[in-house]
This record gives sequence, C-alpha cells and structure tokens, in this order.
Amino acid sequence: MSEGREKSRAPLLPGVIALALASLYLSALLAVEKQSLIIGLLALAVIVALGAYWMGWLASVSQSFADRENILGALAIVAAFAVAAYFHDDHFVLLLIVTVLLYTVATLGLNIQFGYAGVLNFAGASFFGIGAYTAAVLNARTAVPPLVVLLIGGIIAALIGSLLLLPVLRTRGHYAALVTIAFALLLKAFLEVSDVLGGPQGLQVKGMTVGGWSFNDNIELGKIELSFYMSYFVLSLALLVCAFILVRRLERSWIGLNLDALRLDETAASCFGLDVARWKITAFTLGNFLIGVAGALFGMVGGFVAPNNYTFADSLILVSILLLGGVGNPWGLAVATVIVIVVPEKLQTIQEYRFLLYAVMVIAVLLFRPEGLLPRPLRSYFPGWRP
Amino acid sequence: MDIGLLAQYIMNGLMVGMMYALVAVGFTLFFGVLDVIQFAHGDVLTVGAFTALMTFVGIRTAGVHSGSIALLAMVIVAIFATAGLGMLIARYLVLPLRAAPALNTLLITLMLGTVLRESVRLFYPQGANPKPFPALLPANSINFGNFNLRLDNAIMLAAGAAVIVGVEFLFNRTKLGLAIRAVAQDEETARTMGINFVAIVLVAFAIGSGLAAFAGVMNGFYYNEINFGMGLYLGVVGFAAAIIGGLGSIYGAILGGFLFAALQTIGTVALPFASAYKDVFAFAVIIIFMAWRPTGLIREKISERV
Amino acid sequence: MTNALRAAAAILAAIWFVAVVPAEARDKVKVGFIGPLTGGVSANGLGGRNSADLAVRLRNADAKAKYEYELVVLDDECKPNVAVQAATKMAAEKDIIAAATHYCSSTAIATVDVYHKFGLPVVVWGAVLPDITYRNKYPEVHRVNGTMINQNETNAELLTRLGYKTFAVIHDTTDYGKGHNEYFSAALAKRGGKIVGTFGVGADQQDFTAELTQIKALNPEVIYFGGLTPIGVRIRAQMDKLGIKAVFDGTSGIVSDAYIQGLGPLAEGTLAFREGAPVEKLPGGKFFMEKYTAQKYDNPPEAYGAFAFAAMDLILDSIEKVGPDRRKVIDDLANVKNRDSIIGKITFDDHGQNTVSVITKYVVQDGKWVVWEDSEYASGKRKLPRQK
Repeated sequence: MSEGREKSRAPLLPGVIALALASLYLSALLAVEKQSLIIGLLALAVIVALGAYWMGWLASVSQSFADRENILGALAIVAAFAVAAYFHDDHFVLLLIVTVLLYTVATLGLNIQFGYAGVLNFAGASFFGIGAYTAAVLNARTAVPPLVVLLIGGIIAALIGSLLLLPVLRTRGHYAALVTIAFALLLKAFLEVSDVLGGPQGLQVKGMTVGGWSFNDNIELGKIELSFYMSYFVLSLALLVCAFILVRRLERSWIGLNLDALRLDETAASCFGLDVARWKITAFTLGNFLIGVAGALFGMVGGFVAPNNYTFADSLILVSILLLGGVGNPWGLAVATVIVIVVPEKLQTIQEYRFLLYAVMVIAVLLFRPEGLLPRPLRSYFPGWRP
Repeated sequence: MDIGLLAQYIMNGLMVGMMYALVAVGFTLFFGVLDVIQFAHGDVLTVGAFTALMTFVGIRTAGVHSGSIALLAMVIVAIFATAGLGMLIARYLVLPLRAAPALNTLLITLMLGTVLRESVRLFYPQGANPKPFPALLPANSINFGNFNLRLDNAIMLAAGAAVIVGVEFLFNRTKLGLAIRAVAQDEETARTMGINFVAIVLVAFAIGSGLAAFAGVMNGFYYNEINFGMGLYLGVVGFAAAIIGGLGSIYGAILGGFLFAALQTIGTVALPFASAYKDVFAFAVIIIFMAWRPTGLIREKISERV
Repeated sequence: MTNALRAAAAILAAIWFVAVVPAEARDKVKVGFIGPLTGGVSANGLGGRNSADLAVRLRNADAKAKYEYELVVLDDECKPNVAVQAATKMAAEKDIIAAATHYCSSTAIATVDVYHKFGLPVVVWGAVLPDITYRNKYPEVHRVNGTMINQNETNAELLTRLGYKTFAVIHDTTDYGKGHNEYFSAALAKRGGKIVGTFGVGADQQDFTAELTQIKALNPEVIYFGGLTPIGVRIRAQMDKLGIKAVFDGTSGIVSDAYIQGLGPLAEGTLAFREGAPVEKLPGGKFFMEKYTAQKYDNPPEAYGAFAFAAMDLILDSIEKVGPDRRKVIDDLANVKNRDSIIGKITFDDHGQNTVSVITKYVVQDGKWVVWEDSEYASGKRKLPRQK
C-alpha cells in the first residue's frame, strides 16, 4: 500500500529544474543594468512561461511542488542564500530582496484573511505601518530587545485590528470593504496629525540589534565585505519561512477547513454549527499579526517611517499582489511579489507608470483569469497524500 | 460662540455637504440599479473636473473671452463627457461581471479608479501638480460681521439644490424615473414589463456620473483648484454618506451627504486647533456607525440563498 | 622600399590611434542630483536639476577636465518617505561619488542619516532648515544656501518697522513649517510683535476655511505663512473668499513663479524673503543666466537654480582635485574655505554650513517678484493692506 502511495507521488525533478531556472533568472534580472537587456529578459520570461504552459510543463511543475513541498521548500531556501551570496556586497539588490521577502510575509497575512476566510481587508498597509511605528517608538524610547519588538509590533497591529472587529463581523460585502477603507484613511490622517508620532515628517527607526551586534554595520569576513543588509536578509528569510510554514499548516489543519467553509458559504457554514464570528476573528487577528511583524522588521530595515508610506494606495498594492498571484496560493504570492516589486525598480522607464500598470494587470486578471497566475490547487492534507 | 462665526461654519458645511450629497446620489443609483458599488465613482469625478479644465483652456485658446460662455461650455462638456465615461464603464466592465461574485466587481472598480487617477496624473500635462481652476463666477461678497456671504458660493449652493430637486423630479415624476425605480426593485419583472434593462442601466450610470462631474466642477470653483487625488477622498466620503443614508435610497444619500458634512463641521468646531482631526473624527464615527447599523439608517432589505 | 616605409608609417599611425587616443578618453564618473521633480513644487526641482545638469555639461565640455561626468537624477517628490527611498538608492550605488540634494527641508532632514550610514558626500542646494546641518555633526552633509534663521529675523524686522503689531501664524506641520514658526516667533517676540494665534496645517491640506474663519475672528493685521507654494496659493485664495484683509507674509518657500501663476491678481502685495542676492546681482549671475538660456531648458532656474549650480560645481571641483573616491571627497569638502563660485565665496563651517549673509526682501508687484527696495511699496506709491 505505502509503496503504491510513494510511486504515485509526482517526481522531484520538474520542481528542482523550475527552482534552479527561477533563481538563475532572478539573479540575472537583478544584476543587469541596461534597460534594453532588462526588457529582453522580461520578454524571455513571458515567452518561456507561455511556452511552458502550453506544453503542459507548468502543470507538472505545480504538481511536483504540491507533492514534494517540504524538500522543494528546503531547496528554495538554499537557492535564496545562493542568490544573496552572489550579491553579497551590492546594497541595493539586497535591499530589494529583503523588500520582496517582507512584502511576501505581509501578503501571506492578507492571504489568511482574504484567501482562506474571505474577510476583506483594504487596510493592509495600515497594519504594516502600525508594526513599523511600534518598532520606531519602542526602539527609540525603550530598552526592549528589537527581536521582541518585532513580536510586539505584530501584537499591537492585531490589537488595533481588533478594534475593527465589531464592524467587520457585522457587515458583509461592500459594507465590510467600507470599514477597512475608512480605517486606512483614518489611520493615515491620524498619523499625519499626531505630533507624538512625528506627524508628516515621520520618525527615524533604529536598526535591529541582536545580542549587542548591530545589524546596521557592514560585516567583514576576512577579505570579503558583506553589505549590512545581509543580516536583515537572513532574519527576513527566517521570518518568511516561519510564516510560510504557519500558513501551510493552517491551511491543512481543521482550522483551515473551517476557514474555507466560512469563505465559501457563510450561511451554510453556520447551519453546520461553525462559529462564524470566532473563525473570522481568528483569521483577521492572525493575519494582522503577521502583517504587523513584517512591518516592524521593514521599518527597521528602512530606518524611516512616515504616514505617506502607508496610504490606501499601498494597501491596494498588497491586494493586487494577492489577486495577481492567485488567492490562497503562497507560492503564487511569492512570484507575484517579485513581479510587483522588482520589475518596476529595474525597468526605470515604467517606474512612473507602475501604479497604472498594476491596476490594469489586475483588471485583466479579474476579467480573464480570476484565479490568478498560480491558482490555488485543490486541498491536499499532506504533501503527496492520496486517498 | 459668535453668531456670525456659526453662520460661517454652517455655510462652509452646506457647501461641502452639497458636494458629498451629489456624489452619494451617484453611488446609491448604481447600487439600486445593479446591486454594485462602483468604487471608481470618485475618480470619475476627477476626470469630469479635468475635462472641464481642458474645455476652459480650449475655449480660451480659441479666442473666446466671455466668462459665461466658458462657464456653460465647461459644465455641459464635463457632464456629457463624464456621462459617456460612466456608460462605457457600465457597458464593458460592470454588466459583463454581473454573474461573477460581487467581490470581483468591487475589486475591478477599485482598480479602475486607480487607472483613472493615474491616467490623469500621467497623461494630463504636469498632472501631478495641483491645477488652478478659473474663477468664472462673480466674486462679490457681503459681510455680516464675521460672516462673509460670497455670491459665487450662494450661486453654487442654489445650483446644487436645483440639480438635486431636478433629480428627484426625474425619479418620481417621469416615465424614465419610473423605469429606473422598477429596475431597481426587480430586474426580471421590469424586463417582462417591456423595459429595456441594458438601456436603463446605461442611463442610470450616465446620470450618476453626470452628477459627479457637476460636483467636481463645483469643487473646482469652490477651491479654485483641482488635483488628481481629489476624487479618491470625495469618493470614499460619498460612499460613506450613501451608506449612512442607506444604499438604494436617494433621499438617504442626500441626507447622508449633509450628515457627513455636519460631522466634519462638528469636529472642526470642537477641536479648533487641528482641523485635520476632523477627518479622523468623521471616519471614526463612520466605523462605529457601521458596527451599530451595518446597512445604514434606511435599512436595505436583502435575502440570501444558501 | 618606399612601399614598405609607407606601410610601416601607416601601421605606426594606426597603433598610435588605437593605443594613445583611447587613453585620452576620460574615465566616467557618476554624480547625483535629488530634487522634487513632480508634485506641487516641481518648478523649483526642475530648475535645480537643469542648473546641476548645466554644471555637468559645462564641465564635460571643458578640455581640462580629468573625468567625464554623468548626472544621475532622482525624484524625491517633496515627500520624506520617497526621499529616503531615493537617497538609499543613490547612496547604495557605489558608483555615485557625490550628490547635490534636496529643495524641500522635510526631505533633506529625513535623509541626513541615510547619507551618513552609507558615507555619501552631499551638498544641499535649496533646503533652509538649520537642523539639516546642525542637528548632527555628519561629515557627509554640507549646504551652500543659507538657513532660515536670518530670513525670519529680516522678516520680523521689516514688518515691525512698517508698523504692524498683530500677527497670525499658519505653518505646515513638517519640520520645515515648524522651524519657520519657531524662528519667526522668536524673532517677532524680540521686536514686540504680538502673535494672536498659531495654526498648524497639513502639507497637502485642501480646505483652510476652519483655520481662516478663526483667524478672521482674531483679526490680525498680518498672516505669516511658513510653508511651500501649493498651500500658500490655497491659503491666499481662501483668505480672499472669506473676506480677510491682511498682509500675506511668506518665506522662501513661496518665492516662485508658480505662486503668481496660481493666484493671478490675488498675489499682489505678498511679501517674502530669501537668502542670497537675486540672480542678476550674484557675482556669477550673468554668466549663469547666459549659459542657462543658451541650453534652452523647458523650465527657468527659479529661486534656487544658482545654488544648485554652485553645489554641483563644488562637487565637480572636489572630484577633479582628489579623484572619484567618496572618502577623499568628504575630506576635501571639510576644508572648503573661500572657494570661488557663482554665488560668491563659499566657506563651510565645522558643520558643513556656508554663510550667506545677504537676505533679499521680495514683494509681488504687477505679477512679478520685485526686490522690496526697488518696489513702489517701499517708496510709498502703493500701500500694503492695512498699512498706516
């Protein structure tokens, strides 16, 4: 019996090849400066992706990922380190990579709320900002160790989110949307007005320190000088891995089952005895916690927080990433985050147009492929599990 | 408090409330007719205001110096162009998605709003800068102590009231209004009665968007300035106002618009040294209100199938 | 034989062209510029960028220059968060040796830590907040234009001399506006003026009826405004709408053509103050204006273009002297004493601040910024609102 189960699992190879190719491609894209080369690389990616889709390779890759997720996940971590090692002294590229990692964590939080439980949250960037401001205030005024500050950032984001719980629970659909949109605008207005939190000028954030060693100093290993962003990279990657594992476990557990039932049909779920309020609260709070932690770390990486970083438009970007990548699929989120964050930075000519392009892309996705780039596969309780 | 000061605050509140009410009526119309929230409504307003500005520039370059012709042209062109835009949105983005989950329509219209806003910023020459709006209404004013009554504000208030009365007349006394109300009540029955559903939806969108354009032009004349972000704020406020008043009810929308303005005025008067807090105050009240009455003052009747 | 000689000569000539001439080709060096290229104060940002570009062009055209310079331009949108991102990007790129940065004080003060973290030498060309150079002693940060302290002293001096006694202050809530409020209030208190109310407003606030209605009740003779052009335009227009009759007294933030364009006839009689002499009266002013007009840029240099030119020129001089190395440039800029430039002699004090002693007073007359002493208001032919 078990041999049969083993044999019917998808092979590892397609996943490994896809991972290797993706890492090489990402390194090339990050390293190249000339605009024409970048456009060429992007066109190549589109062609290869479409070709793989038509040849059915994409399907075998996604099956491979679904079945062998643990090993491929470990390999992905190795690949990430390889890419980071290649760019070990390039400040800006490492900063981009760290940004991608942290935005993915934030979007994973949003995914729990929206992808699993169907709770609309158009204030994602606001909770991100709450985490960042918590880091700013605590690092400057208190002696709380910065690692703990990360956790506190998440907790405070979850706590403030819980203020919205009553309206969120009682409303449905577009009314629920209004609650979070109003909150996003309210928070930005509040941050701009409050002098204590720096007002429109913002606050400086002290960097992360672990056991006395400041993350803001360049690292020197013998003759090799590493950019100080490397330490942040390691921490962000660790955070992403934790968040990813959390989300995956959540999805596969009975909690995830409840959330899915809730999202698919609330009335039916409550008829079956599911406590709708309890699960919405869980999803909303947990999601905000993740977003807050990511925000706190990102605040420390950037060293600066200001209300203008956390507007409604930024929340819409997070929602766009979620929709583009495929609602409910964590791997899709990672790919979408790379597209949304890295491409405009490299393709300077479209930097100005990036909001417009995101919006157009999302409209196209919603009209023609509402499941997103990498749609969420059918529920599988364990990797490679077959009934 | 000095009576003149109070009167000034009330006047300011009325002006702003009028604009919010006009936007809110649009939201409520769209919802009543198609059960859809058109989040791009605020940005449609921005397009209307910029269209008016373009018309003005065009007329001036064509050599026409008369203020009243320019004013009329601006208002008419803006209203018609925006009505056209509203119809296009209805036809190609909202109607096709009627079968899809309501969430998709919400998201699409949100993104559409971003597209409109960014297009104005990028494609209008120097769109990112605030643009001065011509002052074409007479600027004479009468001073009653602390209260300064300006003729242009009075004209705009009267015009806005006239428009609202006109819309109300349209809905309650004309056949077209009857058709719109029928479609809002029950789409299938209206169709069996011979009403052209698609045409009515398009007309409803045209009317709503035209109202938004009027509000945008009013905003331009009031502040003598327009910028590409004006629609986002007005859209959210108009939406909130429509919800307070109860989606689907025209009177509710008007009431909601003036209520929101009243909230802001109270916030300003109560916290005199930081008028920016008025937004925080108003939105906080909205959120609390949503917790208390999730579907607004005039309740929406919904039924859901499992 | 002759053929062989000719062939040899040709080969030698070819070798000479290939080996020697490229050796004459200069090494490329990147320098940076950050300013508000979009948004409400973009006119100043674009003017500054064009001026910096002019400096680079003139230097590249100079045969005696050792390097060929490339200008990397980034936009800070006059927003602190965008500025920090732009500054991080510019400072993290090791090829960029030095940069001329920032018109908006709110952005300049937010980015000083970034430049210090990455060790990028910068010369500020337009931001006037004193804290930028004086809050920390960062060797990376320098400034060629003056600070707002002197400007506010002159402001208070002129207005009290004209006989005005009651003032209301409106300032934006960024560090720029708050700085102006602080220094003006102090300067006015010394001279016996009375401030009847102080109001902080948002940097992109639209509606000022709340503040102005209260100001109307307080009835001041002068409304002092510490902020930038976009909200200056709105406040002045709404003052008129509410029927407030008072002098509108601004700072260097509103000295721009965009202010007059935005208001039309309402701008008449607005006062403002700026460090540095008007361009025509600067030592290198005529030279700068000639070269600038010759390049046919789309935008005029505006109030701080000359300073941007001087900042970039200073950077280029430094790189020429010590080579394209950030640390060496920082060391060189620490020793700037009496260096010639189009704005006069530049000397950096121990905080990297240049002293600009001349403050020009401006008043809007007939749709143009006119130097106060040359205006009809000074001579008495015209009167400011409520002037006795």
